[in-house]
Amino acid sequence: MQVDIPQVLFKNRHLGRPATIDEYMAGGGYEALRATIGQRTPAEVLQLVLDADLRGRGGAGFPAGRKWQGIPADHVGTRYVVINTDEMEPGTFKDRVLVNVDPHLVIEGIILCAYAVGACEGVFFIRPSYEGDAKLIEQETQVARERGYLGKNILGTEFCFDVHVHRSAGRYICGEASAQIKAISGLRPNPRKGGPRTSVRGLWDCPTIVNNLETLANLPGIVRNGPAWFKSLARSESGSGTKLYSVSGMVARPGCYELPIGVTIRDIIFTHAGGMPPGKTFKTVIPGGASTPYLPETLLDLEMDFDPMKKAGQRFGTASLMVFDKDTCLVGATLSLMEFFARESCGWCTPCREGIPYVRELLRRIEGGEGTEEHIGMLQEMLPVLDLAYCAFAPGAAEPLRGLLTHFMDEVRAHITEKRCPFGNPPPHVRGKACGTRPPQFGPTPCPEDQCPI
Amino acid sequence: MPDLIIDGRPVTVDKGVSVIEAAERAGVMIPRFCWHKSLGAAGACRLCAVMFVEGPVKGLEMSCMTPAADGMVVETGHPKAVAFRRQIIELLMANHPHDCPVCDEGGHCLLQDETISGGHSLRRFPGRKRTYQDQNLGPFIQHEMNRCIHCYRCARFYQDYCGYRDFGPMQNANRVYFGRFEDGPLDNPFAGNLADLCPTGTLTDKPGRFVARRWDCQRAPSVCLHCSLGCNVTALSRYRRVARIEARDNAAINGAFICDRGRYGFGYQSAQERPRAPLAAGRPATPEEALRAAAGLLAAAAKRHGPDAVAVVGGQRSTMETQAALIALARAAGWRAPAFFAAAREQAQARQALYALTPPRARSLADLAKADAVLVVGVSPLADAPMLTLTLRQAARAGAAIFLADPRPLALPLDHVHLPLAPRQLAAVLAVAAAGEDASGLIQQKFPLAPELWPRLEALAQAMAKAKRPALAYAPALAASLPGDDRVGLFPVLAQAGTAGAALLAPTDAPGLDELAAELAAGRIKAVIAVETDLFAAAPALAARLDALEALVVLDHLPTPTVAAAQVFLPTATLFETGGTLAASDGRLQRAEPVQAPGLSVLADGAGDHPPRDYARPLPGTDPAPAAFWCDRLGRALSLELPRHPLAEALAAHPVLADLDPVTLPAEGQRPTYPGREPATPESPPAQPAAEGLAVVMETPFFGGDELSRYAPLTADKTGPAVALLHPDDAAGLNLADGATVALDCGDAPATAAVRLHPGVARGVVVVPRLPRFDALPPNLGPCGLRRRETP
Repeated sequence: MQVDIPQVLFKNRHLGRPATIDEYMAGGGYEALRATIGQRTPAEVLQLVLDADLRGRGGAGFPAGRKWQGIPADHVGTRYVVINTDEMEPGTFKDRVLVNVDPHLVIEGIILCAYAVGACEGVFFIRPSYEGDAKLIEQETQVARERGYLGKNILGTEFCFDVHVHRSAGRYICGEASAQIKAISGLRPNPRKGGPRTSVRGLWDCPTIVNNLETLANLPGIVRNGPAWFKSLARSESGSGTKLYSVSGMVARPGCYELPIGVTIRDIIFTHAGGMPPGKTFKTVIPGGASTPYLPETLLDLEMDFDPMKKAGQRFGTASLMVFDKDTCLVGATLSLMEFFARESCGWCTPCREGIPYVRELLRRIEGGEGTEEHIGMLQEMLPVLDLAYCAFAPGAAEPLRGLLTHFMDEVRAHITEKRCPFGNPPPHVRGKACGTRPPQFGPTPCPEDQCPI
Repeated sequence: MPDLIIDGRPVTVDKGVSVIEAAERAGVMIPRFCWHKSLGAAGACRLCAVMFVEGPVKGLEMSCMTPAADGMVVETGHPKAVAFRRQIIELLMANHPHDCPVCDEGGHCLLQDETISGGHSLRRFPGRKRTYQDQNLGPFIQHEMNRCIHCYRCARFYQDYCGYRDFGPMQNANRVYFGRFEDGPLDNPFAGNLADLCPTGTLTDKPGRFVARRWDCQRAPSVCLHCSLGCNVTALSRYRRVARIEARDNAAINGAFICDRGRYGFGYQSAQERPRAPLAAGRPATPEEALRAAAGLLAAAAKRHGPDAVAVVGGQRSTMETQAALIALARAAGWRAPAFFAAAREQAQARQALYALTPPRARSLADLAKADAVLVVGVSPLADAPMLTLTLRQAARAGAAIFLADPRPLALPLDHVHLPLAPRQLAAVLAVAAAGEDASGLIQQKFPLAPELWPRLEALAQAMAKAKRPALAYAPALAASLPGDDRVGLFPVLAQAGTAGAALLAPTDAPGLDELAAELAAGRIKAVIAVETDLFAAAPALAARLDALEALVVLDHLPTPTVAAAQVFLPTATLFETGGTLAASDGRLQRAEPVQAPGLSVLADGAGDHPPRDYARPLPGTDPAPAAFWCDRLGRALSLELPRHPLAEALAAHPVLADLDPVTLPAEGQRPTYPGREPATPESPPAQPAAEGLAVVMETPFFGGDELSRYAPLTADKTGPAVALLHPDDAAGLNLADGATVALDCGDAPATAAVRLHPGVARGVVVVPRLPRFDALPPNLGPCGLRRRETP
């Protein structure tokens, strides 16, 4: 790792274990909180965040300050902060690393957000496979509580705020803000569309701010060092701050890297992640998590930032780069993603519930060498259908497919003409398998794999 | 008021109306599955996509999720929209079975219509179809989950609209399953609507399944007879047998839904026990013989003892035609005026309840759903007027405060405040509701012994005072205590479907049944003619002395004990065979059309022989005729001058109903202009003077509680157990434990019941189901009226 890259969120990563509260405070931890609570008004904190142009790190990139402004000023009563650590996007693992590096950085960020929006309660929504991290946060919030940073009358002021951990049942759709609120409320996590935003009517019908964990972890730095410092961290014109990049796939050093916003994709893969492993040639990369399209090699010098990526027809997403080499079958890779999306749909609208399994079935046939030219047309026709789904889930699922059909059509055709996977992949399960654990509603026919609950 | 253009047709709608609804008003039917006008938009099926060419929204969008806006130009037939919709249908059909001919919904199926009209005919998807195992959802709804297209209509109706939780979506992705955690009958007493709502054959009407194809059925608009609300239904009949009942839209009354009592209580029409042959002297006779016998008996009694010796009893489940014909017959013959009510006081109260519905105060069920505070007094919604429950729920969902003052325990699927008060205390609740925000003094004065209810009563007074659109639903016994404030809307709930008609048509000096019983006991009544009423249920005191009569002439279509006791019996036709005019409890007159001719169903005809019919003989079972027809014939046999159209003449001479023509009533019914308080009405005496012992309150079982559904095979066995509900404090005073067997004093033979303790029962009250064995219970049980019985 190069030393000239400022490490803000990963300042304590060198410890190789979660930093304790004392280690965190030795590096200036909780200074921002002390300088804020009772010293600044919530509006001043909000202004700092607005000036810093902090954008959501969960994928959509919505400015955090503007989200907070959405709370009706005249609302009297409870407000909530929900910390979104669902992180179920394939290829994304930054939140897990961050929690394990510096839990108190996260906790301080949460408290600052709560102070800025006037929340009295926070819900730390975490996916069940992060059980160790959930325990860590529970343990460290207790430490913070004992030091007087959480709970009643924080730092002796009127400000009261506490946070508790809510373990998700483990569904990708629960990462969507409105679905997450429903999940916490014990309802079916179908996203809500139309009607007031969650910042107006969220958890238990009260204004609720749902922010990604990484977004909140940036707050201590912004409050302590000011918006100008935060903006100066970025390399691109429009960006601000640093970003945690999850790099996986065919690279020499996969991992999570804190790099400035605006660094180029080529830089990330070939400088920081060590380039391709010996003997491997770069083919393509999914730059922002599973719901972004494949990026052709020609766009490798794109700056990783919300606006430049959007301009190039790409998505910054969660900045999770999945790198593929020339020996990897992209039909198989897309199929693998479709298996995920088909399994994780909430089942509300037709394009998502029926359309993604439809696409998956066709990809299985193509990958297994049973595809026909007609199937390509059917896949292409399905793209606009997926785009017009109820929420952003199916349009996201359509992105890898679109990338495949746009940039790698030769590979798809090769499967059809050779009647097998040219990379030598074995045919995927087309018929499904009986596993014996199916719920009783699923009839006497063997449980197709797509309906298998395990 | 947005102006928009849909398929070249300009339309102006209110703000907030969705494009799909605006299109409907312009006469353009946009395809849909999940959108339903009562359930609103879900955005789940994506079939209603249309192209927005101009205006604030551009491109392909869902018309159900997009509110109409000024300047929109919408094309429903845009090639992109058509292609998108075709693909949605292809996706839905990818997993839907291709076996319409064996599906009960076939030919009546929205998915079938949309698939064919959408142009999807050949399957190109190579995958397999998913399958599920079905559940047994009880006697009324059949589950066929393989046919499900996941429009979520059932779940939204069941959970959101009705508020029941035992049925709903489970699992996610393409595994979503609509069902219950385990097999079992659905809790929701409105679940029958699922069969109407479901756009495919996933949820179908179990009793009507494979009985007849919809297109083979005769269909007619009808009105439900199972409570006083007058919900609109469509009756479907095949082979002279009513095959099923569907909800019929009436925006003012039931909207798009009906309750299961109304949907499944029709079987009395084709029940095997239905008396179809006239009887004279207890033996089968031709109609002419029976008529002659009836006329002879009645004329003889009148001649020997004077015309006052003939008493006439009318029914509260008859059409207004029948009631008017009976009144006209009694008047022409000089007999006593027909008694329709248990007491003359009840008749006056029912009329007063209706007359109070002046134009500014009258509310329909639909208006009630828009109220922001509703007080329901003396009515148990699920028992007395089931659809009122759904209306109250919609009001509650919109934020209304709902208060119910009733001695019976309530299990309603909505947020409400229950005031468990004895019947005699209910009038005081009305006084509190009208007292304004600061009513604490009045509350403490009126309810000195119920301090636990004071906070709820204060909340009631405040909610009613603050509300912009308060409304009051009340039992007729409280008609004399209604607040005079024009701000408060009124909605009476009467006893039966014909109660309003009887109250409006009966002469003001008509006797009550209690009076007839006393006269019979005194020997001044020698003959009774009873039309479509069971004397044993309506007038047990009278029924107990039927032996003293010289003549009992009965006209009915139900196999009641009264029919069994009749000397002369004339079979009447049901509403399904006659049609007729009915007054709903909100004062609206509606018309029901006949759906079929009387006559035995071909299924019952032939007694198992095949071929079943001898074509030479006349159609069997056609003797039943409209009761009004029999009244007319009886009058002729007695050589009386009767009006040709008794109802039309009765309406023309009526002080309130004179403007109505029963033949040309509009489809949504017509409410006459009620005058407010009837000047001639005497102040009713207090309904129930404070008395020793327990007040008896009847609760109509949801099924089999009303006379018609008691004789319908589907519902007759679902009345529930014979239990006497008591407040725990009262039970402790009587030294009764939960589950004890008690004997209730009702005349000659005591009725036994199991005691159940329920904190929702008012103190000083015993609640028993309206079952035949409890018909003779007195209004108050004295100190010895309720005794423990050792279980044998």
